[in-house]
Amino acid sequence: MRTKKSGMRTSLSWILLAFFVLFVVFPLGLVLYRSVFDVDSGAVTFDYFQQFFAKKYYWTTLVNSFAVTIVATLLSAVIGVPVAYVLRSTRIAGAKWVNVLVVISYLSPPFIGAYAWVQLLGRNGFITKALNGLFGVEFNGIYGFTGIVLVFTLQSFPLVYMYISGALKNLDNSLIEAAESLGSSRFRRMIRLIVPLVTPSLLAALLLVFMRVFSDFGTPMLIGEGYQTMPVLIYNEFMGEVSTNSHFAAALCVIVIVVAMVLFFLQRWLSNRYSYSMTALKPMEQKRVKGMRGVLAHVFIYGILVVALLPQITVIATSFMGTIGGVIYDGTFTLKNYENTLLTKGNEPILNTYLFGIGAIVLVVVIGTLVSYLSARHKTIPTMLLDVLSMFPYIVPGSVLAIAFLYGFSSPPVLLSGTAFIMIVSLAIRRMPYTIRSATAIMGQISPSIEEAALSLGATEVRTFWKITLPMMLPGIVAGAIMSWITVISELSSSIILYTAGTKTLTVAIYTEVIRSNFGNAAAYSTVLTLTSIISLLIFFKLSGKEEVSI
Amino acid sequence: MSVPIHISNAVKVFGADTVIDGLNLEIAPGEFFTLLGPSGCGKTTLLRMIIGFNSIDGGEFRLDEKLINDVPVNQRNIGMVFQNYAIFPNMSVADNVAFGLDLRKLPKDEIRTKVDRILRTVRIDHLKDRMPSRLSGGQQQRVALARALVIEPRVLLMDEPLSNLDAKLRVEMRNVIKQIQQDVDITTVYVTHDQEEALAVSDRIAVMNHGVIQQIGSPREIYRHPANTFVSTFIGLSNLIEATARPDGDEHEVTLLGEYAFRVPLTAITTGPVIASIRPEEFEIHLDGAEGLPATVRSSVFLGTSTHYFLTTSDGREIEVIQDDTDLDEILPGTEVRLTVLCERVNVFDAAGELNLIAR
Repeated sequence: MRTKKSGMRTSLSWILLAFFVLFVVFPLGLVLYRSVFDVDSGAVTFDYFQQFFAKKYYWTTLVNSFAVTIVATLLSAVIGVPVAYVLRSTRIAGAKWVNVLVVISYLSPPFIGAYAWVQLLGRNGFITKALNGLFGVEFNGIYGFTGIVLVFTLQSFPLVYMYISGALKNLDNSLIEAAESLGSSRFRRMIRLIVPLVTPSLLAALLLVFMRVFSDFGTPMLIGEGYQTMPVLIYNEFMGEVSTNSHFAAALCVIVIVVAMVLFFLQRWLSNRYSYSMTALKPMEQKRVKGMRGVLAHVFIYGILVVALLPQITVIATSFMGTIGGVIYDGTFTLKNYENTLLTKGNEPILNTYLFGIGAIVLVVVIGTLVSYLSARHKTIPTMLLDVLSMFPYIVPGSVLAIAFLYGFSSPPVLLSGTAFIMIVSLAIRRMPYTIRSATAIMGQISPSIEEAALSLGATEVRTFWKITLPMMLPGIVAGAIMSWITVISELSSSIILYTAGTKTLTVAIYTEVIRSNFGNAAAYSTVLTLTSIISLLIFFKLSGKEEVSI
Repeated sequence: MSVPIHISNAVKVFGADTVIDGLNLEIAPGEFFTLLGPSGCGKTTLLRMIIGFNSIDGGEFRLDEKLINDVPVNQRNIGMVFQNYAIFPNMSVADNVAFGLDLRKLPKDEIRTKVDRILRTVRIDHLKDRMPSRLSGGQQQRVALARALVIEPRVLLMDEPLSNLDAKLRVEMRNVIKQIQQDVDITTVYVTHDQEEALAVSDRIAVMNHGVIQQIGSPREIYRHPANTFVSTFIGLSNLIEATARPDGDEHEVTLLGEYAFRVPLTAITTGPVIASIRPEEFEIHLDGAEGLPATVRSSVFLGTSTHYFLTTSDGREIEVIQDDTDLDEILPGTEVRLTVLCERVNVFDAAGELNLIAR
């Protein structure tokens, strides 16, 4: 009997494993293969790596990537940690809405932030022009390093905020009171108690920020102006109009993956050294702070909130402004941009975004739930392999995955390039690690004896899963699916490589409109995307009854 | 209606450990049978082998004479009550109880009748439409019991079902369980580490240690005539005192610490060292008199129905004695007394503590 029911689960494990082998191992294996084999002779060679490290033009991109990533990651912690602490420890008017708005500022894709900041602080930006007019200076706008760091910092601090806020929530007030009763000062409590206890969460958040920033392609492309980072170089080498070299691009992909992998294990090692298990019976109190300190706290929180939301506000505002030739705003209120995009050009990008998004969510939820169920309840060699393989996309940047897909699926036997399916699978694969991690956490909450009870009453394995396990997992899965949906619809770095005329998505449409300097159209598309995200987020809050989101 | 269970030569292996090696057990129809032992003794493992969550690595398990080794869990028709109750949180009380009946494809109204009847039996019919999150521990326990019984299982298994309840509810629920088991007349295997609970509910008890059954018997037999020193100290309290035995007519004379001798019948002619196992209530305290084991009172605890005395013997050994007669005045610490034993109740083991020598 064991063999019969295990047989069913074992074959399911093998099918899922085959899926990950086909869409993770095979394409990424090809990337590795191409990076070390010569184009013409097919002999093993490290020429492509040598070429990269020999020419300053190439290796500076890696240095640039590290520079912007490290600075933006640290700055996002410098802003995110105090925001979280202030919101948890002091009573701020409208704190609940501040929380929601910070999350909203995080949800739109970074490249929209980049394009919005160009509108504000670029060469012809609103703020730039105002400053230059007011003071008679020749400020040329922020581009390059400063611009990239500004966009990434504002885009990433909400993530640090969410992680730290969650960790502080689990910090029992009695710990702080105990320290206080033992004579520890406010400052000492902060350094000796609170900081160490939130360190694991901070490390996790910093890794996530690092990965996102390091692999983001749209932001440096739009605001970098010659300040070239690795994802931009990869894109140019792979897609560029001159001297494209797919083997060289593969070598670049391998370098990026290696960097990400090193970081991933470094973070693992660090957080294993500092990990605590905490559940607060009585969370930290939000104290009412009066006088100057209270005012400062409000100025601090609201000041950062306004700056963080500026891109969204800009995009929505400019979407209703008339333009001359798409570039120069004439200051009139108009719906022309919506007319130009939604009515004239057709709604294909919007429809595609919804279609691919829903397809990817279905795929990621079904596979994610099954993988987490199987690796928790049915430990065998295929499920252990599944566990590792499904986490692998976590360290693979979107552009690398897209290139790998094109290597693997552009020719028979698996000809998928240009189809909606390849877009859906790439979105799903990229989201998989997050979904599996949260589904595994949900599984951990379900006592095995509940399933055993169903079996003892005569239910089969399959029926037990459908009637008991799945319904118990469902609320968590739905909440996770909404967050997945929001991230999937704002994906650019793999879509921009994989899309063809028929499979253009909203983010690709926004990006191409910005590149063509049709800012009005870009703003209109961005507003549609932003509103979709906000509404989805509000549904998430409503359904889950929570005030936090987990990414 | 109720069926017997036969287990012969049961073997369970976890990795390199053989946790159960050649265990035999016969459980009679309708019996309330308890597996009792310290944690890690293999009692839960054995229970999970009976229901099928643990594979049977050797031996034969028979239910109503039929071999069940290879029958899947969901076809064994065995009811189980779990330690944490395992109530399905997404279903109401009635749906939880009806779960097993739905699977058996019974007509709707028959299911309703059966659910109503069993809910009345466990006295929670008024909670029918409640969700589990709004039930107390005792109520969840009753739902678990109803859900396991409603499928009319051939055998009922219970895995430490009372360990998550508070002390008062524990006593109440064990009486409920015992009563329902008798009303339904179902062979029941009950696992616990709580000896008082085991004594209270069981028809027979198997005391287990290290995967081996130490003794099987009725609660009275096990308490009064423990098979070895493990059982005598695990079930209730026993003072183990070194002694020497020598034959004396039909009986034997047993001398405690060379200071006090009493006469008991032993199964075989024994000369030399033995272990006397004397429960606290099997001692009598004498304030005067020359006969008895000399001891000094160190402290006492008054518990209303009895008084516990903690004494030390001349060689510094600690002894616990219970005095039931609460009319007597407290014996103050430091008082020197003499202890005699109730010869007809004490137990005497061989020097290894593995064999009870008393003939009774």
